[in-house]
Order: sequence, then structure tokens, then C-alpha cells
Amino acid sequence: MIMRERISSAGIHAVLLAYSALALFPLALIVINSLKSKRAIFGSPLAIPDAESFSAEGYASVLTNSDFPLYFSNSLIVTGVSLVLILLLGAMAAHALSEYRFPGDAFIGIYLILGIMVPIRLGTVALLELIVDMGLANTLTALILVYTAQGLPIAIFIFTEFLRSVSREIKDSARIDGLSEYRIFFEVVVPLVRPVIATVAVFSMIPIWNDLWFPLILSPGEETRTVTLGVQQFIGQYTVNWGAVLAALSVAILPVLVMYMIFSKQLIRGITAGAVKG
Amino acid sequence: MSTSAETPDSGVSLRRRTPIRWYILVFLAPATLIYTVFAIYPIAESLRLSLFQVESGERSYVGFANYARLMSEPYWAEQFWNAFKNNVLLFLLHMLIQNPIALALAAMLSVPTLKGAATYRTIFFLPTLLSVVVVGFIWQLILSPLWGVTPAFMNFIGAGSFFRPWLGLETSALVTVTLISIWQYVGIPMMLFYAALLNVPEETIEAARIDGLSGWSIFWKIKLPLILPTLGLVGILTYIGNFTASFDLIYSIQGGLAGPDGSTDVMGTFLFRTFFGFQSQLGDVYMGATVASMLFFIILVGVGTYLFGVQRRLQRYTS
Amino acid sequence: MATLDLKGIRKSFGKLEVIRDIDLAVNDGELVVFVGPSGCGKSTMLRMIAGLETATQGEIHIGGQRVDHLPPADRGIAMVFQSYALYPHKDVRGNLGFALKHAKVDPAEINRRVNIASDILGLSEMMERKPRELSGGQRQRVAIGRAIVREPDVFLFDEPLSNLDAALRVHMRVEILKLHQRIGNTMIYVTHDQVEAMTLADRIVVFRDGNIEQVGTPLELYRQPANAFVAGFIGSPAMNFLVAEVSGGQVRVADRTLCTSSAPDGPAKLGLRPEHLELDDNGPLEGKVSVFEHLGGESFVHLTLADEQTLVAKLDGAHEFVPGATCRLAIAPEQCHVFDADDQRITTRAISGEAA
Repeated sequence: MIMRERISSAGIHAVLLAYSALALFPLALIVINSLKSKRAIFGSPLAIPDAESFSAEGYASVLTNSDFPLYFSNSLIVTGVSLVLILLLGAMAAHALSEYRFPGDAFIGIYLILGIMVPIRLGTVALLELIVDMGLANTLTALILVYTAQGLPIAIFIFTEFLRSVSREIKDSARIDGLSEYRIFFEVVVPLVRPVIATVAVFSMIPIWNDLWFPLILSPGEETRTVTLGVQQFIGQYTVNWGAVLAALSVAILPVLVMYMIFSKQLIRGITAGAVKG
Repeated sequence: MSTSAETPDSGVSLRRRTPIRWYILVFLAPATLIYTVFAIYPIAESLRLSLFQVESGERSYVGFANYARLMSEPYWAEQFWNAFKNNVLLFLLHMLIQNPIALALAAMLSVPTLKGAATYRTIFFLPTLLSVVVVGFIWQLILSPLWGVTPAFMNFIGAGSFFRPWLGLETSALVTVTLISIWQYVGIPMMLFYAALLNVPEETIEAARIDGLSGWSIFWKIKLPLILPTLGLVGILTYIGNFTASFDLIYSIQGGLAGPDGSTDVMGTFLFRTFFGFQSQLGDVYMGATVASMLFFIILVGVGTYLFGVQRRLQRYTS
Repeated sequence: MATLDLKGIRKSFGKLEVIRDIDLAVNDGELVVFVGPSGCGKSTMLRMIAGLETATQGEIHIGGQRVDHLPPADRGIAMVFQSYALYPHKDVRGNLGFALKHAKVDPAEINRRVNIASDILGLSEMMERKPRELSGGQRQRVAIGRAIVREPDVFLFDEPLSNLDAALRVHMRVEILKLHQRIGNTMIYVTHDQVEAMTLADRIVVFRDGNIEQVGTPLELYRQPANAFVAGFIGSPAMNFLVAEVSGGQVRVADRTLCTSSAPDGPAKLGLRPEHLELDDNGPLEGKVSVFEHLGGESFVHLTLADEQTLVAKLDGAHEFVPGATCRLAIAPEQCHVFDADDQRITTRAISGEAA
């Protein structure tokens, strides 16, 4: 009996290891080769860079030939500000929905959460017209507004589900103590939602950082280019300079990887806790 | 917080006027405003724009003429139906390949005695985090006949003669792109299945063990029936994602024309091209809106089917 | 013969030892209750008997056969869980027959057994319902029915009544007792509630920190607790413990003798059950009333003695007390329990010289 269990356990590990290799191999390939000279990349793509083949010329190209620091900061600004807005406005709306009863609360709740199933891209035609009419073409502001609108439904959904399970008592006791509803929100509710903030943050941040569609359509200009768009254009320009391209890719991957490493535990806990509602 | 009070017998009811709870408005307004202006309104407006065209330099109402052109005029219809067909194929492949793999991985990860489950989970979710640009490009490199990684690998396992430049061939490009997409996105349904499997109560599984069921039977007879709602959810999310987000990967790999020869054209790339034009094709705002609206209806049909057909039948067994 | 024998069972989770060397022999047809505070190891012990956990050391025998290497399904046991653990997607009939169906037992036989269980537990009206349509008590009965259908040698109950409300718990206790009388199987029942233990058990096993403190019939544990822990655990309200002084065989509190004992001179712990204390104007225990509680048919009075020790007495009927008033209590010497410095029981003797 125990033997049978051991064999099946080994079998499972074999499958999981094989799949891990499949998942990691392309990544490893990028990073390894970004540190090799052009020749080495071509000649022996699978080899780990050694003293002979090591070269940071790819990274050098990236830094000098394109405005990557600018793209980076653009992505950072757009993602960061959007995230703050999504978290703050989303928490506020979720608090209103979960805490108070008022006419139309069910309707507004459904209205806001509907956005999860309705992709914002479908409105791009009118969205571009709107952005242009508002004079926001080729601005980071346009991206921020759009991404906030995109990220709010799922944030509101997750926050609402979470807040519903928090007891009223602590808020009621704050009311008895005389705190205004605004203070209750900022001083009582906001600290309470800390466990899910990481989840919402990672869920929201990744599609924003990695998005190609809206930067391409709303703000393709040089000053407002994001990292993702920048890499894509860069690849288009420098297709043959593989070292540079690979370096660019590595640069693009890095922040996501870092964020993931930091938040992976919370993310998975959050997903497993809240995302099962159908 | 606000109450109304009446004394039963007095002739005049002493009802305290309910003060307007402004704070509710303050909490709700910003989110609702941004969401309405930048998400809902554009979609509604796109739907409206699809009913217009430019005739002799002026925007005028044309009813459903754009839709008729889209579906019957050869120039448009060919692209539309091609894109639609490809998209459906994309969806079917994801449902038949991605989701079973995700389920299998989740099932393996949820074995309670598995060591290193957390590490595996982290690794499997990693590709999902990458930008499509990254994913598209690296797979292009890997599959490229020039760089030699794949041919070398296939030679290694003795299948060298089977290598083809799949991304460049009309017959295989779509399937190849689909497989790349599956590689990237399997993490999401995997996580959802995993969470659902974890939610099956431990004691129920122990009761099954006492009743004589082994691991495999427990999965099929107990766990699977109980995560049917999640299967439905994954289905609809796959549907929506495949019809909208597929643009990014295909655009990255095959460009705006979704070659070779339109074989990887899906609704998203078609919409992009129609709206903005690409190379020799001029952009047409109104036809673009029409394509977007068609896409909206396609998604609506899917979501509707899910909400009223699938979800109702897959009742949740909450106790 | 469905006997259960535990020999030298030890269990550790990593470095943490939760079960330390348990030996126990359960007779065929006995209802044995494992009782103890949370974390004492009783549930772990039950799960090891079931086969859901493996013992680090030791042997488990059921019906004379060694089972500790067998999977749960082959041990001849059935288990009723605290959360009932019914299969949500099957109706009551499906839940009852599930194990047999999986084992490919003949459908006629399945029906026969399911109907028997249904009769015993009164389930016939709800056979087509799903668990979510049932009340807590009904689900509990289905869980028990599922165990009956398997016709096991030993029934295992893991705190089955903890999730029910108080009134239902009392009712189900009686049902389980009747069930045991009717089908007579060996049953191991785990609970933290000593009232359940006292009312249900043929014998009680008191656990603490992975050890067995005492095994005995309910009355044995009540009358002759082996140590202060068992004494304080069994009986409700809990036994009073006073610091007493033994001198010359006399056990004294505040200079009044309550009983005699073979304890050595020096301090000792004296245990007095609230229900054995009586009002007595000449009683040796004198104190001021701090609090009293009326329950209608009985009263509880809390006294503070001269040396600041406190006592609770349970008195029949309704008594009126004035807080702060002086009150005197007496207790029969044979109802005194004396414990030494290690909390172990010392035989007491009445003042007249009879051993208790």
C-alpha cells in the first residue's frame, strides 16, 4: 500500500518536473543569452555564458539606442498611479456597497461588477474619439484613466466579497465613539482590507504593465511609450541584434518577476480564498 | 444610522426626516464615474457609431448597413468570417488542451502530501506574468529554423525530420500560436481549479477514504462533481479572453496582418486593422465600430449562455 | 468479536510528541468515550484507529487482527465526523449507499442495508433530499446512517454533536445511547464535553497532553478520581480545590478538621464537589457570601473563606442569601478528596475512621 503511494508520488513529481522545465526553459534561454555575445548566441544558444562568450553588449545597446529609462518610468507611472486609483476608488466603492443599504444598491453593485465580463477594448473606437476630444491623446493620463476603468470591476468585486465577511461590530463601535463615516473608512476599514490588497494589486498590476493594445492605440508617441510597447517597437527595429533584443526582454521581465517573488504568497492565498465564487 | 420613528397614537407622525447620506455618494461616485465614462460609455458609443457611415464627407445614419456590408460584401465578409472561424478554433483548442492540462496540474498540486507544491505553483504561474511581447518573441526564436534550438532538440529526440517552420506556414500557424498562448496562460485556470479543489472539505475526502475510495476515484467521484461551477467559470473566462485578448500575442508574433495569409487573423486583429488600417488598408472608424459591436454581441451570447444556461444547471453544493 | 486493543501507541508530528505511550483494551460492544481538553490528543488517537493518521510507534488490533498497516477501508471501522462530511452532490440514499456501490456490492444488498439504517434513524422521508436541504440534526443522522450501512466492527465518533445547538445535543445524546443499545457494536466516542462522556459511556478514558490520566466507568471517575485533573474535569460544576493542611492525619482548612487521611503532614490539596456541600450552622467551612445564583430548582452560592480561598456550593431549592453575610457549610468526610503535592489521589478516611 505504501509502495503504491510512493510510486504514484514519484510519477506525479516526474510530470510536474517535466512541466516546470517546459515553463522555465524559454525564460532561462532569454536571460542566459542576453548575456552573451552575438556570435555565441547564434552559435550555441543553449550554452551558459562563460568567460569567452559573456558580453553585456546587448544591454549596452538597449540603454544607448533607445530611451528605455524613459519607457520604464512611463510604465512605472502609469501602472503605479492606476494601481493607487484602483485600490482607493475600488475600496471606497466596495465599502459603500457592502456596508450601507440604499435604493439601487443591488443595481449599482451589479453594474460595477459587470465590467469583469465586458472587455473594455470593445469600446476602443469611441474611446479614442473621447480621448482625442478631451485633448488627452498621447498622454499618460489617458492610459491611467482607461486602466483604472478597466481594473475597477474586479477590484470592487474582490473587496466587496472580502468586506462582506468582516463583522460590522468594529465599525459600529467606531460610530458610537463618534467617528464620521469618512474617518471610519480611512481609519477602520482600510487597515482591515490589507490581506486582499496584495491580491488586487497583483491582479491589476500585471495586465497593466504588460498591456500592448492601449499604449499602441492611445499613446504611441515617443514620450509616452511604455516598456511593453517600447520592447515591441525595439524588436521591430533591431530584429537582427538579438543580444540587444534579449537584453530588452530581460529588462521588461524583471519588475514583474520581482513583484511576483515578493507577493506570490499573498497572491496565491488571495486567489484561493476569494476567487472561487462563480 | 438613520432611523424613522413614529408614535402610534398621535395624530401627527413624528417622523424624523432621513438625512441624505452624502458619504455614500462620495464613496461611490469616483469609481462609478471613471468606470462609466471610460468603460461603459465607449462601448455604448461604439455600438452607436456602428450605425453610422461617412457619406460624401458627412457622418450620417445608415442603420444596419455596416453590418450587412460586414457579412456579405466580399472584401469585408471574407476577413470577418475568416477571423471568426479562426477565433472559434482558437477557443476550442484552448478548451480542449489548456483547460484539461490546467485541471490535471491543479489536481496534482492539490495532493496534500505533495512536497514542494508551493514551488511548483510559483513556477507554473510564471509564464502568465510575462508580457506577450516577451512570450511571442522568445517562442519565435525557439521555433525559428535559423536559431536552431528546436531543430536541435528534435534531432536529439530522433524526430528531426518532423521539424517545420510552423509559425510561417499557413496550415500550422494558428495552431502554433494557440499552443504558445496555452503555454502562457495555463496558469490562470490552473489557479482557479486549484482553489476550487482546496475548497472541497477535508473531512468529506476522509469520509471517502474510509468508504474505500482511492486517490483516483476520489478525484473523479468526489472532487470533480464538486468543482463543476469552477469548470463553468473557467469556460466563460476562456471564451472572453480568447475573443478579446488574443490580439496581443498574435500582433506580437505575426503582426497586424496576422499572416501568413490571414491564417492567424482573429477578431481582435481584424478589429485593429479595420479601425486603424494597416499598411495598405485604410482605417474605417465606422466599420471598426461595427466589428467591435459584432465582437460585443459574440461575447454577449457567450456570457448569456453561461449565466442562464450553464450556471443555473451547475448548482453550487454549499451546505 | 470486535475488540479494540491499543499497544504502546506513540505519535509525533515532527518534534512535537502528541501521543505518549497509550495502552488500552476495549471490550466487544463497549461504548468507550475519549474525553479531555482540546489538544489532549483524543482526536488524533481516534484518527489513528481509523487509519487517517499513522502511529509513529505501536500496534492497533481490531477483533484480534493487527490493522495499523491497513488502509481505513479495510479495518472494519466506520466514522462519524464532527462536520458530518456528507457528499454534497448526492442525495441521502446516495450518501448512505455510496461506499457499497463503490465496492460493487449487489444492489439488493445495498438496498437492504440502506433501508435498515433508514428505519433505525428515521430517514425514510428524506431519502431523495440533498444535504443542503437538511437541518443539522438530520445531517447528523445521515452521517450515522452512512456508518451503520457499512456494518463495521467498530464505530468511531469524532465530536459528532459539537456543531448542534444545546437542545438538539441533549436529544441526539439520547438517540445515540438508544442506538448503541439497539445495535450493540463497539463504539469509540470522542468529545470534550464531560456531560456527554458521563451520560454515554460504559467506560471513560480521560486524556491530557497525550497521556491517559484514568480509565474507568463514569461512576468510578466521579467517586474515585485518580488525580486532581480528572477530579476537576469530571463533574459539573467543577470540583472546588482548597489548600489544606495535614497534621497528624487530620486534614484541616482554616483550623477546622474536615476529614482524616493517610497523607503525610504538610500542605495538601482538598477537593470538594459543590453538590456535596451542605448548609450547616456548625459546619467547618465558614465564609462570606460573594455571589449567588438562582436557577429555580437549585442555587449556587459562592463563598469567600477567611483565608481568601473561594468555594462554590450547589444547594437544592431556592435559598435567599445576602451578599456579605456569613454562611457555614459542611461536607461528609467520605466525600472529601485529598491530593498530594503531585496531584495524585490519597485515600481519605472519615473522621470516624472508615476508609473512603
